[in-house]
Amino acid sequence: MSERLPSTYAVLEQHGVDRRTFFKYCTSLAAIMGLEASMVPKVMAAMETKPRIPVIWLHGLECTCCSESFIRSSHPIAQDIVLNMISLDYDDTLQAAAGEQVEEIRKKIMKDYKGQYLLAVEGNAPTRDGGVYCMVAGQSFLDILKETAADAKAIVAWGACASYGCVQNARPNPTGAEPVHKIITNKPIINVPGCPPISEVMTGVLAYILTFDQLPELDRTGRPKMFYGQRIHDKCYRRAFFDAGQFVETWDDEGARKGWCLYKMGCRGPMTYNSCPTVKWNAGTSFPIGSGHPCIGCSEPNFWDHGPFYERMADSVPLPGIEATPDQVGKTLAVLTGAGVTAHLASYWARRAGKRVAGKPVDPENTTGEVK
Amino acid sequence: MATTYRSLEIVPGETGYGRKYVWQAPVRLAHWINALAVTALFLTGLYIANPALAPNGEAANHFVMGTVREIHFVAGYALLFGFLLRIYCFYFGNNYSRSGFPFVWRKEWWADLRAQAMQYLRLERGHVHLGHNALAGLSYTFFVIFLGWCQILTGMALYSETNPGGFWDRLTGWVIPLLGGSYMVHLWHHTIAWSFVVFTIIHLYIVFFDSHQFRNGLITSIISGYKFYQKGDLDHDRWLS
Repeated sequence: MSERLPSTYAVLEQHGVDRRTFFKYCTSLAAIMGLEASMVPKVMAAMETKPRIPVIWLHGLECTCCSESFIRSSHPIAQDIVLNMISLDYDDTLQAAAGEQVEEIRKKIMKDYKGQYLLAVEGNAPTRDGGVYCMVAGQSFLDILKETAADAKAIVAWGACASYGCVQNARPNPTGAEPVHKIITNKPIINVPGCPPISEVMTGVLAYILTFDQLPELDRTGRPKMFYGQRIHDKCYRRAFFDAGQFVETWDDEGARKGWCLYKMGCRGPMTYNSCPTVKWNAGTSFPIGSGHPCIGCSEPNFWDHGPFYERMADSVPLPGIEATPDQVGKTLAVLTGAGVTAHLASYWARRAGKRVAGKPVDPENTTGEVK
Repeated sequence: MATTYRSLEIVPGETGYGRKYVWQAPVRLAHWINALAVTALFLTGLYIANPALAPNGEAANHFVMGTVREIHFVAGYALLFGFLLRIYCFYFGNNYSRSGFPFVWRKEWWADLRAQAMQYLRLERGHVHLGHNALAGLSYTFFVIFLGWCQILTGMALYSETNPGGFWDRLTGWVIPLLGGSYMVHLWHHTIAWSFVVFTIIHLYIVFFDSHQFRNGLITSIISGYKFYQKGDLDHDRWLS
């Protein structure tokens, strides 16, 4: 590192934040990361001593909903993260500078903090036709991503786009959009899926990386366990109605008014790992199921390809060339099989009856084995 | 492995029907565990996928979905242990407990497969097999063993989701990312479930048909363990020797 960046506490002090407020800040930060009270001193020590991490935040093929979510973070507020904890040096959507100046900054950070900076990627890269379907400053995003990732310490893949592909790589994926882990394979990558991810989850992930100077514990698909360890279904406040067997059948029925389970309305809660029921959205105000809308499973792979959002398991069977649900296929096969064995039995009987008419009685003992 | 074939112990001078012990007790037990468990699993699975019953009143007074899921899980465990029992028999059981394996690298197996298929299609009687004929063995290997294990794996992976980091998660959790997420595991599990309906129709038809044709006590054999045969009416399961 060519120059040592100030610590978070140093920056806060400069802004006139007193010691007591700093304590509160560290305590709430530890809480959002799911740490015990005994870990608060460790968080404080990190904030006081560790230099701020330089962050390059790239925007590829995406809708900016991750940034929109991020800047609405309430604990800790995004302003604290952006201005104090990390050194957000490049973010072409949020920063004031424009044009070549901006690209100069990116190149400078990559050179000055080689192997030290964190690369945050929002959106993904279309790979077809040399990546021409997403160009930034005259360069394909595919190239920018590879170039910037080369010297990064680690990569944070924000949202469903960067983690799994989201809508731009839904069938038939015309631009060949691929998530970050399909393009960059030699760097530690943390997936923070969701469309968008919960803001507190985003800030919590960054705070963890800063505090402990390592990626949090990840699950099999690279998601932080502390936020994606459990299904929405298992933390849902409507779970009692699921277990009781009480389901909303239509949008305006009695069950909907009573707040019954949205399972039959296509709720993806039982298939989706996220912390919506616990952390909630917009400073803990609510979450989709809380306002009577089924979960659409936005933090799961290929959630756009899984049939209508408001129908349960309405997707085609997972076999190529068949556009029918498992139930349709299964019932058809069962009927065909039944027809097949009936036809077999009928022809067997017809043959025996035919022999009988021809004057050759069927031997009841059937000792020689052949149907004569 | 069932690579040896012991000669049939037909008593010299024996006439008419002979009786042979073919299915050892654990095999018969495993069969009926499978039959009951698969029936229970399919029916409860239909409800879990599309819960039609809707009790009224307070949620605290009902546990319909909870009970149905519990039955599903218990039947799933039963199926798993039935499978483990059957694996034990495959290695340590008698010659007929072991049969059914598709010996695809042996010409005799292919010959019997073809002969058996042609006999069914041309309504010819053929000869009695004491163990499984090649076609039966193949269908059990595909429908029951292969797809059965697929169901156990996907089922246990889905079951593990309620307890992240638990025993089943560590054992079968890898299935979820392999198939592309929890949704796809649900979809595969639901799709494969229907193959057991197809299998059951074919299986029931063929055992009734064969039992009628051969009068060899095929249906009772899975209860009693004995099959009947007539001298000179045996098709040796030649691919086994």
